Amino acid sequence: MVRDIPNSPDMLPITSTRYVGKAVKRIEDPALVSGTVEFIDNYSVPGMAHCAMMRSPHPHARVLSVDTGAAEKMPGVYAVLTGEDVKKWCNPMATSPEGWGAYCLAVDKVRFVGEPVVAVAATSRYVAEDALELIDVEYELLPVLVDPHKALEADSPTLFEENKTNVIQDRSYTWGEIDQVFSEADHVFTEKFRWNRCGANPMETFGCVCDWDTVNDYVTCRGSYQTPGFMALGRAGSFNLPSNKIKVISHPHGGSFGGKGGPRGTEIAALLSRKAGGRPVKYIEDRVEYLLAGAGQSWDRYYKASIAVKADGSVSGFKVDLLDDQGAGSEGWGTISVAKPLAAFTGCYRIEAAQYNMKLVVSNRAPTFAYRGYGPPPHNLVLESLMDIAARELGVDAAEFRRRNYIQPEQFPYTIPSGNEYDSGDYEAVLDKVLGMADYQALRAEQEKLRAEGKLVGIGVASTVEPGVFDWNAYSTVGVAGVGVPEGVKVAIDIMGQITVTVGFSLEGQGQYTLAAQLVADYFCVEMESVRVAYAATDVAPPHFGPGGSRLGVAMSGAILGACQKIEDKFAQVVARLMQTEPGNVELMDGHMRVKGVPGAEMHIAQVAGTMLNRSDLLPPGMEPCPEATYVWTAPNRNQPDDQGRCRSYLTAANACHVALVEIDPGTGVTDILKYFIVDDCGTRLNPATVEGQIQGGVAQGVGAAFFEEYVYTEDCQPLVSLFSDYLLPTIHEVPIAAKGDVVTPSPVAPLGAKGCGEGAIHTTPATLMCAVNDALFPLGVQIRETPMSPNRVWTLIQQAQ
Amino acid sequence: MKPAPFDYYAPDSVEEAVALLERLEGEDVEAKILAGGQSLMPMLNLRVARPDALIDLRKLDTLKYIRDEGEVIAIGAMTSKSDAEDSGLLKQQQPLFQHASYLIGHRQIRNRGTVGGSFAHADPAAEYGAAAMALGIEMKIVGPDGERVVAAEDFYITFLTADIDSTEILTEVRVPKMAPGTGWSFQEMARRDGDLALAGAAVTLRLEGGNCSEVRVAVFGVNGSPARIAEAEQLLEGSSPADELFRQAGKAAAAAVDEPIADVHGSGDYRRQLISVLVARCLAEAVERAA
Ligand SMILES: Cc1cc2nc3c(=O)[nH]c(=O)nc-3n(C[C@H](O)[C@H](O)[C@H](O)COP(=O)(O)OP(=O)(O)OC[C@H]3O[C@@H](n4cnc5c(N)ncnc54)[C@H](O)[C@@H]3O)c2cc1C
Repeated sequence: MVRDIPNSPDMLPITSTRYVGKAVKRIEDPALVSGTVEFIDNYSVPGMAHCAMMRSPHPHARVLSVDTGAAEKMPGVYAVLTGEDVKKWCNPMATSPEGWGAYCLAVDKVRFVGEPVVAVAATSRYVAEDALELIDVEYELLPVLVDPHKALEADSPTLFEENKTNVIQDRSYTWGEIDQVFSEADHVFTEKFRWNRCGANPMETFGCVCDWDTVNDYVTCRGSYQTPGFMALGRAGSFNLPSNKIKVISHPHGGSFGGKGGPRGTEIAALLSRKAGGRPVKYIEDRVEYLLAGAGQSWDRYYKASIAVKADGSVSGFKVDLLDDQGAGSEGWGTISVAKPLAAFTGCYRIEAAQYNMKLVVSNRAPTFAYRGYGPPPHNLVLESLMDIAARELGVDAAEFRRRNYIQPEQFPYTIPSGNEYDSGDYEAVLDKVLGMADYQALRAEQEKLRAEGKLVGIGVASTVEPGVFDWNAYSTVGVAGVGVPEGVKVAIDIMGQITVTVGFSLEGQGQYTLAAQLVADYFCVEMESVRVAYAATDVAPPHFGPGGSRLGVAMSGAILGACQKIEDKFAQVVARLMQTEPGNVELMDGHMRVKGVPGAEMHIAQVAGTMLNRSDLLPPGMEPCPEATYVWTAPNRNQPDDQGRCRSYLTAANACHVALVEIDPGTGVTDILKYFIVDDCGTRLNPATVEGQIQGGVAQGVGAAFFEEYVYTEDCQPLVSLFSDYLLPTIHEVPIAAKGDVVTPSPVAPLGAKGCGEGAIHTTPATLMCAVNDALFPLGVQIRETPMSPNRVWTLIQQAQ
Repeated sequence: MKPAPFDYYAPDSVEEAVALLERLEGEDVEAKILAGGQSLMPMLNLRVARPDALIDLRKLDTLKYIRDEGEVIAIGAMTSKSDAEDSGLLKQQQPLFQHASYLIGHRQIRNRGTVGGSFAHADPAAEYGAAAMALGIEMKIVGPDGERVVAAEDFYITFLTADIDSTEILTEVRVPKMAPGTGWSFQEMARRDGDLALAGAAVTLRLEGGNCSEVRVAVFGVNGSPARIAEAEQLLEGSSPADELFRQAGKAAAAAVDEPIADVHGSGDYRRQLISVLVARCLAEAVERAA
């Protein structure tokens, strides 16, 4: 029997939900925050070796010779791994587009400062680092490719010489009659923007313990993996191993945000283990390694963008030219973040035509990786800034201008020019609510008053759409042709009525284990304490992807509900047989399997499970005595992209509107965030506390991107940032605790009506803050178009104005 | 990020520590003193400092005190910065020093970091540098030849270098009390709360017959060492306080800064600008407090 996954909590088999939709306390947090879970650095096994890596001090150089003799002889050293070994035993990373992947250790040349060149496994990290000092590497320096604009020129130094170019991709998509729209427009506004490199910085860096069973050629990798199944498949490819000869075990970890990386560190540790005869090798990336060459750098972008506006204030066209500096290859799927904006290219607005010209190039900066949001934060900053520019020129209030252009509630499902279909929304309701919370008119009045006193006070209003539940098809632009991303769970009920949910992803802080327990507890009407969520390693886990692309809450809900339904169907058959009726007459309600219309004819789910487990003789013929089920959910109705990249990609479209009030100190250029308001609509809020946490965390990262975080390089591609004293993460002192409100427009197509909600705030915050800063600067006649809006940058602009 | 090998000593007294320093120096062994470790440990882990031996002062409880000595408050080198921050004596009789203590890093760092460690480390961005210059703090230093006392002006040499010989230990800082009626201010600009400052200023002054007197203006964070700015002080001395005058003094202070630091957080020009603004704001606040 095939059933639809319920798209509303009312459809759960319980009179009224006790957990779903409630801000229940998270079951996994106490262990995570008290450190009693097994973080990878706390894991050790007897005889384990420790890895340290020698890294390139040069941005671009040929490796002439590597002398490891003295290091190999040093007491305590088990193995030294070089590019020669890696060339023999491993393939270049397949996470880059074909031809742009590097090996895990430099082979023949280095392309960025911090690229691992030699790795050592020794009795301790101390000894391993001592051994590195005995290694001699001779380099021949090569000309450095610093400026991505130069990468487009034929005579620029080539990083991947066999490709004879530094351009990974140069592609243009046109959606609708863009030329006509722009020529018929009453106004066209064009502006350039620079988004400087920033990225994920989870509390815990990457770490792993790998062992290579050299007898059976079986590799086990434990570590802080965000997407374990994916990691296992990828490593099988790297090591030329059959896919069933590698097992990845993801340990609970301290955040990820796309920045965990892992391929490089895992390959190095595993190959060291192989070279050390199978001894397990631990690699814990330290923060300097992370900041120089980990997976923390993203979005190094130059934009030129235009919007076409009609006299009545309606926006009809949007054109974006993007030059994206991927760094020395894009081993961390860095290219995908250029494609992601297709899922919500024109934001909340009824823009009929659009164009996207993408140039992705390499340079001798570190490779770029995924970062929460995966590309839209800079894109939204560009679109929202242009909306403000247009509003100002037309003399319309920023909030009003947006309102006029919103997609209307009755227009959903709405297909945007770049092809994605938005499921539902009520953008005006969200806007109205946030303006009400902010008392927008009063705020504007206050601003006028303060401006008259000479203060630089600004208000930013920004609206965005957050695509939720990613699908590979969104990334066809960068050569990923697949459709469908699975999430599978197994639900099993034991003889005492206790329920175990087995999942393929581990803890990293978003509260999914709690959500799993909430759903199962309400489905079968048991206490949440009766539900345990168990992690399964890749060799036994159901197909899964894990957290990423604002998907896991929704995807996992689908999987859990599907599995629960399968159990319910099985139970109906068992109960029908026991009570001598048809399965169709038996239904689950409030934890009991009831025969419809026969009061008292019912069995508690624990009784059914117990019967199945203990009395297989009573079961319908051929039924396995297993009160359990596995279900793998993928987003329905996704399709292959056309030649302009258009497809139904992300399943859900959440929406948010932020309002910020800022004040700039003209003497120092320091911006203070005085007030911050958010209303968001992510459909059904399965656990409002978790949604709030996701939003507040996204605000923090947005504040970081807007004002603090930047990977700075010198004119010759030397990184200037390798410590947290230089890469500035905002702290509790810098991040406003936003006043938050909600609007709930359930998704008609997603499980329980919930939409992806993990990325919306980082999508919106930088745009809001840039709009606010520019509003503050407006009376001076200067505007900022570059992130982060550091005090020095803002002050320099103020100087120019005077 | 693990230190290179070193020998470790934890002497029981200042005398023992000095003797140890002398012996190791004689044996050509490079030794470093370890106090709270808040600056030294990261340097060891990054292998930018790689001494052969560490001499840990953690057992020297005799160097943990904040004492009222009449004109002066004597602070033992191993006193934690949070003890200085929490000290009622400092709050009442030397609020500038107390406030400077509070501005250092975060509470966790102040719990472990010592007052002596901050002075000895001589980071140009250390708040205590400006406090030393503005208040006329003296350092008591013990070495093989006994004890000597160094004035703030002579103590700071350049980046991370103070007038302490490799066989000497800073044992005490002597902070003059603030005379009643003194106006003071300490302000800085750091990218985030608790970061090392890009620039900062400390001011003390008195008002006599409505005019500024005994004006002391010190700045820090902008170049190699904290400094008093005579040009700014002279502009104020004997003049009646006014915003325009404060601004001029700020400009004079900024102009007096040699070779300002430029780094990822701010250019040299920007740091000069900060000095100009902060000195002016400090003067205004100090005048307000004096009045
Ligand atoms: C995140 C962070 C933020 C910080 N922010 C600030 C800030 O805003 N302002 C600020 O001023 N500092 C700041 N610091 C530095 C902090 O104040 C250190 O504590 C201080 O610089 C050194 O004190 P310590 O006791 O930890 O000394 P240690 O780190 O142990 O030693 C520092 C140096 O001084 C020498 N030394 C220590 N004690 C003596 C002694 N008694 N005699 C002779 N030599 C000695 C050591 O040999 C070493 O060279 C920060 C540190 C961190 C980690």
